Amino acid sequence: MASTPDTVSDLSRRTLLRRAAAAGLLASPAAGLLSACATGSSDKPATGGDKSSDNPLGVPKDSAVEVIVFNGGFGDKYPATDQQLVQEKHAGVKVDLKFTQKIKTEMQPRFSATPPDLINNAGADMMGNDVLANQGALLDLTPLLDAPSWDDPAKKVRDTLAAGTVDSGTLNGKPYALNYVYGVFGIWYNAALFTSKGWNPPKTFDDFFTLAEQIKAAGIAPWVHAGKYPYYMGWPLMDWIQKLGGPEQGRAIDNLEDGAWKTDEVKQVITRIQEMVSKGYVLPGSEGLSHLQSQQAWLDGKAAFIPVGTWLESEMSSPPDPKDDREPKGGRKIPPGFEMTMLPVWDVTGGDKMPYGAARTYAAESWVVPAKAKNPQGGMEFLRAMLSKAGAGKFSELTKAPTVLQGGADAVTGSTALASINNVIKGVGSNQIIVRINDWYADFYNGHQGPIGELMAGRSGVDKFMDDMQRLADKIKKDSKVKKQSR
Amino acid sequence: MRHGRGRFVAGFLAAPLAVYLIFMIWPYVQTLMYSFTSWGGFSNEAPFAGLDNYRQLLSDDTFQAALLHNVFFLVALPLVTILLALFFAFLLNVGGRGNRAGVRGVFGSSVYKVIFFFPQVLSVAIIVILWDALYRTDGQGLINFLLIKLHLVDPNHPLQFVNDPTPFLGVPKVLWWILIVVVWANVGFYLVLFSAAMQSISKDIYEAAMLDGATRVHTFFRITLPLLRDSVSVAWVYIGFVALDMFVWIFALTPQQGGPNHASEVFATVLWREAFTRGQFGYACAMGVAMAIFTLILGAIQLTATRRERIEL
Amino acid sequence: MTTVSDTASTSAITPAPGERIGLRRPGRGERGGVLNVFSHAILVCWGLMVALPLLWAVMSAFKTDAEIVRDPIGLPDGLHWENFTTAWTTGHIGDLFLNTVIVMAGGVAGTMLLGAMAAYVLARYDFPGNRAIYYLFIAGLTLPIFLAIVPLYKVVANIGASFPWLGLNSYLMLVIVYIAFSLPFTVFFLHSFFRTLPTEIAEAAIMDGATHTKLFFKVMLPMAKPGLISIGIFNVIGQWNQWLLPTVLMQPQSGGEEKHAMLAQGLIELMVNQGYQGDYGALFAGTTMAMLPILIVYVSFQRQVQAGLTGATLK
Repeated sequence: MASTPDTVSDLSRRTLLRRAAAAGLLASPAAGLLSACATGSSDKPATGGDKSSDNPLGVPKDSAVEVIVFNGGFGDKYPATDQQLVQEKHAGVKVDLKFTQKIKTEMQPRFSATPPDLINNAGADMMGNDVLANQGALLDLTPLLDAPSWDDPAKKVRDTLAAGTVDSGTLNGKPYALNYVYGVFGIWYNAALFTSKGWNPPKTFDDFFTLAEQIKAAGIAPWVHAGKYPYYMGWPLMDWIQKLGGPEQGRAIDNLEDGAWKTDEVKQVITRIQEMVSKGYVLPGSEGLSHLQSQQAWLDGKAAFIPVGTWLESEMSSPPDPKDDREPKGGRKIPPGFEMTMLPVWDVTGGDKMPYGAARTYAAESWVVPAKAKNPQGGMEFLRAMLSKAGAGKFSELTKAPTVLQGGADAVTGSTALASINNVIKGVGSNQIIVRINDWYADFYNGHQGPIGELMAGRSGVDKFMDDMQRLADKIKKDSKVKKQSR
Repeated sequence: MRHGRGRFVAGFLAAPLAVYLIFMIWPYVQTLMYSFTSWGGFSNEAPFAGLDNYRQLLSDDTFQAALLHNVFFLVALPLVTILLALFFAFLLNVGGRGNRAGVRGVFGSSVYKVIFFFPQVLSVAIIVILWDALYRTDGQGLINFLLIKLHLVDPNHPLQFVNDPTPFLGVPKVLWWILIVVVWANVGFYLVLFSAAMQSISKDIYEAAMLDGATRVHTFFRITLPLLRDSVSVAWVYIGFVALDMFVWIFALTPQQGGPNHASEVFATVLWREAFTRGQFGYACAMGVAMAIFTLILGAIQLTATRRERIEL
Repeated sequence: MTTVSDTASTSAITPAPGERIGLRRPGRGERGGVLNVFSHAILVCWGLMVALPLLWAVMSAFKTDAEIVRDPIGLPDGLHWENFTTAWTTGHIGDLFLNTVIVMAGGVAGTMLLGAMAAYVLARYDFPGNRAIYYLFIAGLTLPIFLAIVPLYKVVANIGASFPWLGLNSYLMLVIVYIAFSLPFTVFFLHSFFRTLPTEIAEAAIMDGATHTKLFFKVMLPMAKPGLISIGIFNVIGQWNQWLLPTVLMQPQSGGEEKHAMLAQGLIELMVNQGYQGDYGALFAGTTMAMLPILIVYVSFQRQVQAGLTGATLK
């Protein structure tokens, strides 16, 4: 056999350690290169075209607008209307619509190189708007909000929006994001089932616990939730805390105040939730179910209550696309006779600081314009078109979801679900539960799911939960890299 | 014959090196440079931060816990995969009926080999979709359904699979469930690899040994295993790299991409979150560099320890 | 004493023992009866563990969404072929297949050629910097891909600005990126393989006046065939599973341009889609369509694959 030096043994531990050390030493000269490399490109600010009453934002002549649309629950049909509106108003301007579900995976690398002009930053793979805003990657949308609205030049865009819309997209004091869809969080039940059994929907936790025994006796689990995504359970949990403790408690949590998670109010709410778990009122296995699995279980009558937002009906409607006329033979997800009905979160005690009916309304599905966009005026113009009666009306017609444009969904008529949603929204009045911490701090949004998951799986207790949440809040507060917000 | 030698070497190395340097090394060099900055990943501003990121690593609990999980996979994954693959290869090749003069595999061994290899030809995407459905946590999951029917699992407490962070033998159960998936996906390949190696061992050796009264189990440990050392060490290195990565599996199969409650984080998921969710790209780069050094050291140890020796028959 | 190439080639032709026994009478042996039953029991168990989930996926492809969520184990109430139509039209499985085949053909062939060239020169020629270059390749084994993904995107975008055929969403670019990312393991693997090839033949060829290039293509490459097949299989599997690189790099740059997505990427998109629109049926139909051709190709060529792997064990 020919002599063959063993290649691998040469790679001895010692040489390798030496090499690693050398790599460490290389660091200092490499650092010098950084200024040349990392901050090398100088981006010219986009200047835009001439402004006029027909073109208040100054969309450049014959420019192209690249719009990235999240192709999720709202589908990919609605933006065509807005595309048409923009192209009709500005002959020569071309709107490029692109659809994706992997917003972060596809957009993140583009941000520092060739960002598009408008992004529908939404879905499970969205980028944190706080992260983007803190790095100066987003454009301030004030020019859009102050521009005359599409339908009525006498009215500014900001004056056509539902209350709280601008605030919900404000970070570091500037409106960086525009949330397009309006809705409310609540707890759903099947009114038909309740009527047939003679059950009354609960108004307090005590009602719920009394009713839960009857529900369980009927072979139904009182509660189901999307345990695989614990933030679903986070919605009622945080709403209850604020409902009991009032807006001050809500602000304390949002503002990361010391001990905000250690108050007596938090303890009372968590104690009740833990009782739900320990008494076996939660559908076994809930802690690992996805949103669709848990919602289907609820529709199939395996559970009585489920916490979800406004979109539940459209998400579970089959077929998903109204133009798709597949016969849902044996496949209808919503059983015939099912009456989807939404309740506001019920009272925790007799002495809640916020009255029955208080709920969390929200504006969601954010749209952002990258700071380095080539044609930001075009991006904003597209948003302005979306906020027209024609654009918003078409969206609501196609998706059965209201937009932040006031009265935009007037033409949409509907189901028990929509009627009950309208009732809940009307009942809220001035008692809006406001939770901003999830949008402000990506760390909180990610971090709060662990403790909630553990609580709902029955693996932690009230004190452990409170400790974990307080530790999470404290950690964010102490992290100098995270820009703080307050309200 | 030194004529043209230099030109030949340069000519042969030019293309591979150029491709490698531009598309692989250069991006990584940039990564190294970013690790000394507080670059967020979304802008072009990358303020120099010196060794801050590396200092922060030392006090990052999540990162350290994640490293331990990688170590778990580094130990368990090659061990289980290789042992199982060896065991199957043994059964296939020498587990069959035999008379005094023959040692052979079980009937239909080639059919088994084809079936066992299936997961390897499937895209990881498909495997993930399958197991996500198998590991469903309520009574409707395939595994839970069967176990409840067999009265092995209490319907009020179905198995929680990758949703279960409670420890088993000191390691979160979610990691064990993931281990099963990865072993399931990989065993077939190594089974075929070892099986091929076993077939290249002369039958005479076995038969001689058996005539001398050795049992099959003895022959496995005394003859087969020593002669398979080569293939086992190749397998060990390759699975080792899988164990250090694990990204796709954890990312796609566990709740909250490393949960529940961080119980299944590996270094890659932590790095991913820092870079792409938290916008701490500089810090993530530092993690990557630290991990590369760790891997390099481990790799060197592993390669040295399992270095090849010629088998002479 | 047996040389490597000898063992490799003989074992490649040696039929599997199981095939031989198929020809013999399965008469009751004196030994191994218990072991045999035990073997079959275990092997059948594992076989079921592998095969049942796959069959279940195929079965689910014929169900409606609600059936899948509601009753994952039950048989479909009818054959819902429309799932396949949906997956084919909205999931573009056919295009994905074609794209993947194009890129993998280029990627694997290029990796093998460039990898073999580099490994050969590094293994058999001494020159200053040899070790450094070798370790440079090996170091690539330790680096996670996504760490380089953002800088890589920038590199490709910049190149694409001058040479669009090498920019984002270009097949050629993806082929080259696949090659770059497959080189470390390929070089590592083939390097040791080339080292073990006997020098006598090479020396004889040189004496006969062969050039270095000719020596490589005419003598060394054929001798390294078992190793090449093995590493080829490794690369096929590795590139087949690649998901992150195409997701990030195969993005159309203008509205009219079509996205040249890969199969794994498309399946993940179907999976994500399922999270929003609940189209499980289409997901499993897409999965089935992606799975079956590969399984058929594998079953047809399994002997070659297994023979090729034999080479891997005998460097």
